Amino acid sequence: MAWDISRRVFLRGAGLAAVGVGFHPSSLLVRAAQAAEAGSRVLVQVFLRGGCDGLSLCVPFGDSEYYDLRGGIAIGRGEVVNLDGHFGLHPALAPLKALYDEGRLALLPAVGNYSLSRSHFDAQDFMESGTPGDKSTGTGWLERSIAKVPGNAVTEGVAFSAQLPRSFLGPEPVLVAQTLSSFDLRARNWRAEAETLLRAMYDARDDALGHVGQETFAAMNVLLRTPAIMAPPAGGAVYPNAAIGSGLRQAAQIIKAGIGTRAIFVNVSGSFDTHANQLAAHTLEFPRLADALVAFARDLGGLLDDVAVMVTTEFGRVAFVNGSAGTDHGSGHCMILMGGRVRGGRVHGSWPGLGRSQLYQERDLAVTTDFRDVFAELARAQLGVDGSSLFPGYTPGPGPGIVA
Amino acid sequence: MPIDIGPRAAVHLLNRIGYGPRPGDVARILGMGLDRYVQSQLDAPADPELDSRLRGLITLDYPISQVLTLYNADQRSVGVILDELYTAKVIRAVHAQNQLQEVLVDFWFNHFNVYIQDGFARYSTAAYEREAIRPHALGKFRDLLGATAAHPAMLFFLDNYLSRATVTVGGRLVRGLNENYGRELMELHTVGVDAGYTQDHVIDAARCFTGWGIDNLNTSGRFAYRPAAHDTGAKSVFGLNLPAGGGQDDGDKLLDYLASHPQTARFIARKLAQRFVSDEPPERVVDRAAAAFQSSGGDVREVVRAILGSAEFWAEAFGAGKPKTPLEFVASALRAADAQVSNGRAVVAYLQNMGMPLYSCVPPTGYSNRGADWINPSSQLYRMNFGLDLAAGAIAGVGADVRGMVRRMGGNSEDPRSVAVTISAEIFGDGLSRSTLDAASRVAPGGPVSVAARVAGLCLASPEMQAR
Repeated sequence: MAWDISRRVFLRGAGLAAVGVGFHPSSLLVRAAQAAEAGSRVLVQVFLRGGCDGLSLCVPFGDSEYYDLRGGIAIGRGEVVNLDGHFGLHPALAPLKALYDEGRLALLPAVGNYSLSRSHFDAQDFMESGTPGDKSTGTGWLERSIAKVPGNAVTEGVAFSAQLPRSFLGPEPVLVAQTLSSFDLRARNWRAEAETLLRAMYDARDDALGHVGQETFAAMNVLLRTPAIMAPPAGGAVYPNAAIGSGLRQAAQIIKAGIGTRAIFVNVSGSFDTHANQLAAHTLEFPRLADALVAFARDLGGLLDDVAVMVTTEFGRVAFVNGSAGTDHGSGHCMILMGGRVRGGRVHGSWPGLGRSQLYQERDLAVTTDFRDVFAELARAQLGVDGSSLFPGYTPGPGPGIVA
Repeated sequence: MPIDIGPRAAVHLLNRIGYGPRPGDVARILGMGLDRYVQSQLDAPADPELDSRLRGLITLDYPISQVLTLYNADQRSVGVILDELYTAKVIRAVHAQNQLQEVLVDFWFNHFNVYIQDGFARYSTAAYEREAIRPHALGKFRDLLGATAAHPAMLFFLDNYLSRATVTVGGRLVRGLNENYGRELMELHTVGVDAGYTQDHVIDAARCFTGWGIDNLNTSGRFAYRPAAHDTGAKSVFGLNLPAGGGQDDGDKLLDYLASHPQTARFIARKLAQRFVSDEPPERVVDRAAAAFQSSGGDVREVVRAILGSAEFWAEAFGAGKPKTPLEFVASALRAADAQVSNGRAVVAYLQNMGMPLYSCVPPTGYSNRGADWINPSSQLYRMNFGLDLAAGAIAGVGADVRGMVRRMGGNSEDPRSVAVTISAEIFGDGLSRSTLDAASRVAPGGPVSVAARVAGLCLASPEMQAR
């Protein structure tokens, strides 16, 4: 990992942010102006690991080929939650219908990129780096995005994950936490001494191990000094007891606490790699997904106006059912988008169709929207970041027009 | 004054081929000679002391059918069985004499990963490690590959037990294939994702294994080949052409082919070098290891020997070190504290918080082999707390007496600097930095937590302890 100390600024002592020495003052002003419009908006990316089947999230029940291809695992016309006469939500996602009708939730099928390959690991890597086909990219797309936002507080980028997600890889400090509660040293009866001496050890080093220790204490400082961060869910929101529930619950906590967080990554590894018994897996996972999004919207209340949530995955699945009532690795997937400024109540993008000649390599849902166009649009809208230079070797198009 | 590099070299070896030194190990292996120590680790002789520590874990050797019988009688029994598996893993990492063998069992399990919480995997993962991984950890790669391919745990986890030939019935195509194992076999287990194979190769690889199944998921849980499910057509996989009319041996032939493929030699060599040398291993050591793989017919012992005999391996003794995974950190801290582990449950909970629950990596990819991927504030906090709790004797199922340990090693357990210097000598080859030694030495006298426990806790939570 490359560390550029000039761009790293830590919250120290009283939680005061210093200014980095790597910025030329005029470039700082330009960036501040660009960012002013975005103000305190937040971008939340939920990543469903495993390749979630887009044809089950947003069911093309108006496409007769869908029933031919999916056979016994197709969602019946009578079961889908009809959205527009052609697409419908999976019945387990029914709680999302109200948000859709209120215009705060949208769907984007047939999104992806053909270079993602059908490998989980490569597809996740390519998506998170934002450079399909190029494994040498040393940074993640969210890291590059928050690097363009003025300020370097450790809580500007937050990942609810056991590990630093590839999306945040790079020099910007990022708070990685599975849980915000009890983010403290456990040295009963000598805590102050332990903190002083451990800080001395980590502050003395200018390498990756030193920096992670410094970030840990910086994060501890902010979290312990912000009791509001432990506020319970508001508005009667009830989050499901699952990774996506605890991730979005804590995302809401940190947004409500107002500590300058701009980009949040929620890592979800569940039963999305549905090679077998797909219906059963979705019956387990989709209610969690829907309930978590509904709870998040309720919990944030009016604050949702400044927040955009993007639910994504590394690839979609083959258009036809396999021999195990499941589906193998495919291409085009489906994103769910939610937020106050999301142009909701509609299915975005263009539908490629499911006819044999319309499928990619006669098996996968084709891709009609490059995922980077969506990333760029959301980075622009939520972080005030110019998306044109966000993806090395690629200039994003105008985007599918997801955000008003 | 000349610098004695012996202790640094010994610590390096203990950290890389095992889970780090216990107090006294550095002097012991320097006394026998590092070459002899390496040879003994490659030989992996019987370890009766470890056997006696594991004796109380009676379910460890249960065949799958016995686990299923117990589960069918009382579903709660599976909890005990998993607890014993987890405890055994921790005890082996901390107490085994054959440290290299334990590292390689972990490496190969992770390479051929199955996720223990996935249905039938709950009842078969212990058998999988015992039958498919452990016997071959220092053996032939082809044996590992064959044992994993045919093991019910893998057949289940990657869905191959469901995969059947696609057939036409009454003019209508009835799909039977499941591509999961065919893909991961090439991408993760053998030639690697960049080898250049195509989607058609993935499909034909999967066709080779149609019919490789499990006889009964609820009772016996044994491998069974079902001829009627096999796709007998011709297959073409990445340069291997199999004529029509094959049976179960289609799969065996593909495993033979992939195990001896030069890209497999390189893929495995690189991954082992990444485990033992560095996150981005130098090409020279990868070349050397790949050559050893090919000339030895895929003998893991010879590949490891080639890596340990390289200049690149020893040069790392004086580098910044490779960041430890949570398991490596936890096991090394337990060893450094001279801990006695009787129950692993509390340790397992720490590993979960650090992001590495045992046997519980969901994707088939396995946990990252790169140390840098494990360094983040969340994991760091739990690591520091583990070190502090361990030295304070606050981890259930773990006995640790750091005061006694420091005294046995000739230090003064009431003097902070003496404690820190003793630990630096025994665990770090005198490698603790001045800033770490100085900070640990500033521990105040008196107080409810002993000087030795506080100093040792700080050393176990130190930056130096995070890398190996």
